[in-house]
Order: sequence, then C-alpha cells, then structure tokens
Amino acid sequence: MENHKSEIRVSIENVTKQFQTAHGSVLAIDEISLQIKPGEFICFVGPSGCGKTTLLNMIAGLEQPTKGQIKQDDQLITGPGSSRVVIFQEAALFPWLNVIQNVEFGLVGRMDAKKRKEIAKTLLHLVHLGKFEKAYPHQLSGGMKSRVAIARALALNPSILLMDEPFAALDAQTRDLLHEEIQEIWSTTKQTIIFVTHNVREAVRLADRVLVFTSRPGKIKREIRIDQARPRDLVDPAWPAPYIQIIQSELREEIEKVLKEEVDNEWTLKKADLLRPAGLDLGSGI
Amino acid sequence: MGVMISVQRIIIGYVISLLLGIPLGLLISRFKILDETVASLIAGLQVLPSICWLPLAILWFGLNEKAIQFVVVMGAFFSIVIATDGGIRNIPPIYVRAAKTMGVRGFELYRRVILPAALPSIITGMKLGWSFAWRSLMAGELLFVSVGLGQLLQTGRELHDIAQVVAVMIMIAIIGLIFDRLIFTELRKRVQLKWGINSN
Repeated sequence: MENHKSEIRVSIENVTKQFQTAHGSVLAIDEISLQIKPGEFICFVGPSGCGKTTLLNMIAGLEQPTKGQIKQDDQLITGPGSSRVVIFQEAALFPWLNVIQNVEFGLVGRMDAKKRKEIAKTLLHLVHLGKFEKAYPHQLSGGMKSRVAIARALALNPSILLMDEPFAALDAQTRDLLHEEIQEIWSTTKQTIIFVTHNVREAVRLADRVLVFTSRPGKIKREIRIDQARPRDLVDPAWPAPYIQIIQSELREEIEKVLKEEVDNEWTLKKADLLRPAGLDLGSGI
Repeated sequence: MGVMISVQRIIIGYVISLLLGIPLGLLISRFKILDETVASLIAGLQVLPSICWLPLAILWFGLNEKAIQFVVVMGAFFSIVIATDGGIRNIPPIYVRAAKTMGVRGFELYRRVILPAALPSIITGMKLGWSFAWRSLMAGELLFVSVGLGQLLQTGRELHDIAQVVAVMIMIAIIGLIFDRLIFTELRKRVQLKWGINSN
C-alpha cells in the first residue's frame, strides 16, 4: 500500500446515489464532488432528507454510490473499515459489554489484553469517564454514552472520524460541553473529521468548513469557510453569529422547499395566514 | 437411580437440540432461501406435541434409548430454532453497522456481535424448549417402559401404590423446578442485569 502523505484525505468524485423504494426510485444525492484535506474538520448541514447521512454512509463504506466514486488516500472505498470509524446518533454501545469492554472492542484480536486495557483506560480518562469502567451502558446518561462512543472510535485511531449527528439526542448544556471536549481531543489527535448535523450553531463552532446541502436530491449548495482561529473560544457568542446568519438563510430556502413538498404548496416560513385577529368573518355569509 | 437416568436423557437430548438448533436458526436468519422453505416447516412442526414423534421414533430406531432421545430432541429443537432466528432478526441493525465500521466482519461478527445481541431471545427459547423436552421425556418414559422416572410412575400405578405415584410426580416437578430456577432463571437474570432490561 502506498505510504506517501497525500494532500487529499477523502476524494468524493461525481457521486450520485439512487435508492429503489416501493414507490419507484429516489434520487438521494445528485453529483456531489468534494475534496477533504487531512486534519480538516468538515460539517455537513442541511434539511432532513437532504442526503447528508447517506453521503456519510458512503464515505464510511456502509453504502455504495450508484455513480461516481469515493477514495480515501487515493484508494477506492469499497466497504466499511477501521480507518474510517462512524459514531452514530444513538451511540450504539453494545449492551452486553461494560464500558471498558466497549471501548476496547475494536482492538480485540489486534493486540494483547494488557495493552488494550491501557489504551482503553487512557481514552476513558480523556473523555472524563475514568471511574465508569465497569458500568454497563444502560446505567449511563445520554452524554456519557456519547463519550464512550467517542472513546471507542478513537481507540482504533482511525484516520477519518465520521460522526452522524452524535449529539442530537442530548440536551443543550451537555452538547456544549461535548463541543469543548471534542475540540480538545481533536487538537491532539488531529484526525480528519466529517460531522453531520442540522444544528447550525454546532457546525459553526466546530468546523473548518461548513457544507450546506440542498434539499433532496442533495447537492452542495454552498461552502462556508469558518476562519476563526483555534483554539476557539466556545463561550463567546459573538464570533459565530455572522456565520450562523449566513448559513441559516441558505438553509431557510431549502427547508421551505422540503416543507412545501411534505405539507402543501402554500406553506411559507412567514407568519401563518390563519392567525388573523379574532372576530373576522371566515365565510359565514355563504 | 431412575432420576439419574431421566436427567441424563434430557441433558443429552437437550444439548443435541442446542447444537443443531442454534446453527439452524442462524442459517435461517441469514439465507432467505432457507427462510422461505425451512422456516414455515419448522413453525408448523413446532405445534405438534413432541410425544407424537414417539411412534415414528420407535419405527426408525427400534424400542431403545435412541427413540426416547429423538423425542427429547424434537421437543426442544423447534423452540430453539425459532427463538434463535427471531432473536437475530430483531437485533437493531445499528449494532452490526457499528461493528462493521470497526473492522469486524464475517464469522467474527456473528461470534462477537450477533449472537450476544440475540442472546436474551435465545435464552427464552431455550427455556421453552427445555420445558417441552422435559414433558415429552416423561410422556415417552411412561409409554415406552424402560428405566427412568416415567417407569417408576408406571410401576407405581401398576402396583396400586399411590404413595409411589405421588412421590414420583413430586420428584419430576422438583427436578423441573431445579433446572428452571438454577439454570434458566439465573441465566436470564445475569443477562438482564447487564442489559438493564427489567430494571425496576
């Protein structure tokens, strides 16, 4: 295998994805091309159903593009593998294993037990869960489960970390804390991270580049570079504001499109017509 | 002495059902073609009280141990297959996807992820299979006279010895209870403790 340091970690080339459903074929992704450099933190943002998770799954190798190809370090991605680990929204911790067994899961068979335990313990301390080695997943809160999922993924030291709305199910405070932790961890591990979210603020806080997706079929509508120097002050609400505004207006257009499709053509994000002042004649004189 | 023989029979027969049943359940969950053919057959056969296999068993194996073993196996086998297949189908797909992105696949995937994830269901099937097997063993021993608890029951009747009949009945019930409590309830509790199911 080639070992030169590529300038491009992930290359997405003219990728299209079509799904066959009971109602015919659905075009989920329409000719997306993208290049991601090593160590970049990229966020995919878009309305529901825009294909951002589908694209993530294809980069992970869990699904294959209908057309086009995706390469990691110039090698075609044909299946899932431990150099591109996914962290899912539901954490997906294995309930029959305790915390430390979950974290070392990917390492079993690759190294002896002592070394595994060491690595797992170090990672658990990194995510501030050192005391919970022997706990079982059902005993953990949502935020704790997310942390264990992160530790489990990091144990494999993947060159690409894929995160699919990992904090969506958490409360705002926990999420903000985890943003700080992710930033800290990433400053040392410097992996390439591809992060899917529909929380614009989250994307702006974390990413080097934010890619806004159109509604289905998904294309990249706009790429916004977040030029804030690192380490970023995540407590300060001022610097993200202009970025958030730009991205949200891009998104608004797309969300309206989705809602029109799902609800009815007269839906807009403006004040609803029916909230008129009371006492208005609504057609009683028919 | 009769107790040991009966217990020995059921353990042998039960282990055979596990060794045959779990792999078959696994194969059915994996291969659509087996699901479309074998699965419905099994669902149908499960309804048949396993003692009905005895005449067939006697014709095939003759009047000996093998015939009774066959009946025991038939008792447990179907429940185990169905529970294994169902358990595997009901695994949240995300566990498998998570494992795959960590580089686990093939046989290792089955051993480390799919079987453990299906275990609670499989244990339920094992418990059910056990009680079917025990019942069919007793029925078999009653009909087919050979040493064992069933025979003791029968001789009690022939000798008009109610005390013996009742004593053996109690014995049969106690053994059933012991296995149920000691083994299956324990297994289930341990799994539930890990998984957090039924945490009040």
